[in-house]
Amino acid sequence: MFGYLLKRLIQMTLVLWVVSVIVFLMMSFTGDPVFMVVPIDATDSEIAQARRLLGLDQSPLVQYWRFLTSLVQGDFGQSYVFRQPAMTLILERLPATVEMVLVAMVMAVAVAIPLGVYAGANPEGRLSRTIMAGSLLGISLPGFWVGMVLIYLFAVHWGVFPSSGRGDTAELFGLRISLLTWDGWHHIILPAVTLSLGTMAILLRMTRAGMMEVGRQDFMKFARAKGATRHDVLYKHGLKNALIPVVTIFGLQLGDLIAFATITETIFSWPGMGKLLIDSIYRADRPVIVVYLMLVALIFVVINFLVDLVYTLIDPRISLK
Amino acid sequence: MKYLSHTALRAGAVGVAIAAAGAAFAQDKSVMIGLTSDPSHLYPLAGEELSSNIMYYHLYDPLVKRGADLSFGPGLAESWENVDEITWRFKLRQGVTFHNGNAFTAADVVYTVNKARESIRPDLVANVASVTAVDDYTVEIKTPKPYAVLPNDLAELLILDEEYTTATGDEKMDLMPMGTGPYKLGEWIKEEKLTLTANDGYWAGEPKIKNVTFRPITNPATRTAALLTGEVDVIQDLAVRDVDRVKKEDGYSVVTRPSLLNVVLAMDMREQSPTIEGKNPMTDQRVREAIARAVDVNAINKIVMNGLATPSDQFVPSSHIGYVDGMSFREMYPLDIEKAKALMADAGYPDGFTMTLDATNNRYVNDAQIAQALASMLAKIGVTLELNIMPKSNFWGHIRVPTENSSFIMSGWDVPAGDAGSMYGALFYTRDKKDGYGQVNRGSYSNAEMDALVDKADSTPDVEQRDAYLQEATKILMADIPMIPVHYEQDIYAVRDGVTLVPRVDKFLWAYDMDVD
Repeated sequence: MFGYLLKRLIQMTLVLWVVSVIVFLMMSFTGDPVFMVVPIDATDSEIAQARRLLGLDQSPLVQYWRFLTSLVQGDFGQSYVFRQPAMTLILERLPATVEMVLVAMVMAVAVAIPLGVYAGANPEGRLSRTIMAGSLLGISLPGFWVGMVLIYLFAVHWGVFPSSGRGDTAELFGLRISLLTWDGWHHIILPAVTLSLGTMAILLRMTRAGMMEVGRQDFMKFARAKGATRHDVLYKHGLKNALIPVVTIFGLQLGDLIAFATITETIFSWPGMGKLLIDSIYRADRPVIVVYLMLVALIFVVINFLVDLVYTLIDPRISLK
Repeated sequence: MKYLSHTALRAGAVGVAIAAAGAAFAQDKSVMIGLTSDPSHLYPLAGEELSSNIMYYHLYDPLVKRGADLSFGPGLAESWENVDEITWRFKLRQGVTFHNGNAFTAADVVYTVNKARESIRPDLVANVASVTAVDDYTVEIKTPKPYAVLPNDLAELLILDEEYTTATGDEKMDLMPMGTGPYKLGEWIKEEKLTLTANDGYWAGEPKIKNVTFRPITNPATRTAALLTGEVDVIQDLAVRDVDRVKKEDGYSVVTRPSLLNVVLAMDMREQSPTIEGKNPMTDQRVREAIARAVDVNAINKIVMNGLATPSDQFVPSSHIGYVDGMSFREMYPLDIEKAKALMADAGYPDGFTMTLDATNNRYVNDAQIAQALASMLAKIGVTLELNIMPKSNFWGHIRVPTENSSFIMSGWDVPAGDAGSMYGALFYTRDKKDGYGQVNRGSYSNAEMDALVDKADSTPDVEQRDAYLQEATKILMADIPMIPVHYEQDIYAVRDGVTLVPRVDKFLWAYDMDVD
């Protein structure tokens, strides 16, 4: 276990370093951040002054070295645009995103697993066909379109949900959480539904495929023969064995939604961190992009680690080495 | 147990009664405004961008106040006068305090000017050579040379509290602003909302609206939805496609006003141009005129802009110093393909030529579509435009003087200072001749007469004389055509009924001037 952890830690450091190098290289193609900061009729001396204040007067290599050395000291750099620590900018937006993604994932799992099991167990049924057709829609409809339709129907037309924003929040351990207030729930439903549809459809199809495969195995017939109920056969014997790929996809989707919920956040003006990434790319705000992508890499590494742990719980034959 | 619950009930009832009474007394006017983006800054010296500018003018005051219609009047300075050609004396308003109670004095003005010079915005004080406090309520500002429109420039310099700003530091100033403005910061939750509360002791009178909430709603369709569901009272930048829909809806109206932003096409006038093979045809005035005559601004307005643009008649709007009454680029060079073709033939280019147009796709309203329309328009006179369309983060560096990549550039220019001088100096003054002039002259236009007029305008302390010189300069530009003015974008707002909003020419929404019922 210790060896496994150490290996993972070394891998992670390597991944983070590579991400930082790639972003630094990429940023040389996305335009000069100085021109995003100075007025367009700035004189050369004004531009030089801005360049100096932003630390952009050094060669890229020196800039990268500076970035690395301050990183080691726990300083992630300052945004060119906001003139605030990049990490603070991201972290103050992180809870809103995580909250929305968690609600979306819970919705996705709550719908996808039972429906997937059902569709896998009765592949020829009419209901199963309807479910599968629906899941195809869920995969193929673009999120921004679904979001706009939901806003139009539920906010503008019927007036049951607000169109955008986060609503009231309550504080818990210093974090602002909307799930603790009625108004917060009211605001989170539409964006969470929008975000969950794609994942819901993917998980549903994975579950169904897994169940169909497992259904042909002898141990399923044996379980049925020894007199287990249909429910127990499906959920205890079947689902547990079909779950490994589902958990893998779940982990990847979770990371993906946290990192890149940008479109949903923009449409519902949800104050999350995805929007920050897009804005920063437009403004060539390198420090924010670097830290953001490194954080995302970290989130993926952690999620993958947790997924590995879950494997061992589901299937005792798997162990971490 | 019974007793307890009874008391609790009574306590609850009293609570409700108090809350109700509070609501009845409070009746405070409030307004919710949907903006296109969250401000990046609340510290005026940290950077410049529309949402931040809107906040700055709620929180801070300049010495000279710019009105909604671009008129200039007293702000923190009550009056000013020229002592001599380069010295201005400003009498400051007495009894003004910052939100923390500190008194506003001449020392704060001196501090702000010096602070700006060291900041990322030294351009704010480019025309200030020195500033001294004569006494607590008088400051003397010297300009490097006679400069008639110094007060207009000072309308953008927002005064900081020396003691507070020094103690707080630049980074924290962005989060904890402290000015003399009509509103104080309530709370700012990034990307979610920013609330302002009225500064009841405001020197120009108590604000009518007590609570202002700004919500950043980036997606245009969501912004419209937020207005129609009653979540906000006012939205900035109503999407062009939603204009008809909101107009039809009962209880809402659309407010438009031509902006100051003039979309212009700059033509390269060097002998050799980066994207043109051989000699650059645009050195010939006839070719430039032909291009001007081939651009159908009315078609662009109707088809690309849905009628929501105002074709521009000069390089600056009629409110500005330097505008020539009655002169119109559109009348001088109306759409005329035959004439344009003849001009091209006269100049020796009957078959036209090929060049690249550099344009943005996320800076101006429908900018990429305008570029495409231009390509098909110029094709009619044989000019083949290759389009190089890019996001603004790449654009400004790409077209930057010395303009090593561009022959034909679409960009925009606005002068909220209400004076053509700074624009002419930056865009049309011969390059590399004088420090601070011609730094954005991307087409390398050079005309000694033009330079002389800008020099004269920038060295007279008299505004009327400045106006006369700049008008002469305008006439030269209209004849030389170093640039083609296309149109002014329109600012489009939507409000619910009961909200009074007079849009400002400079786009800086200001709750102090608004009212709700």
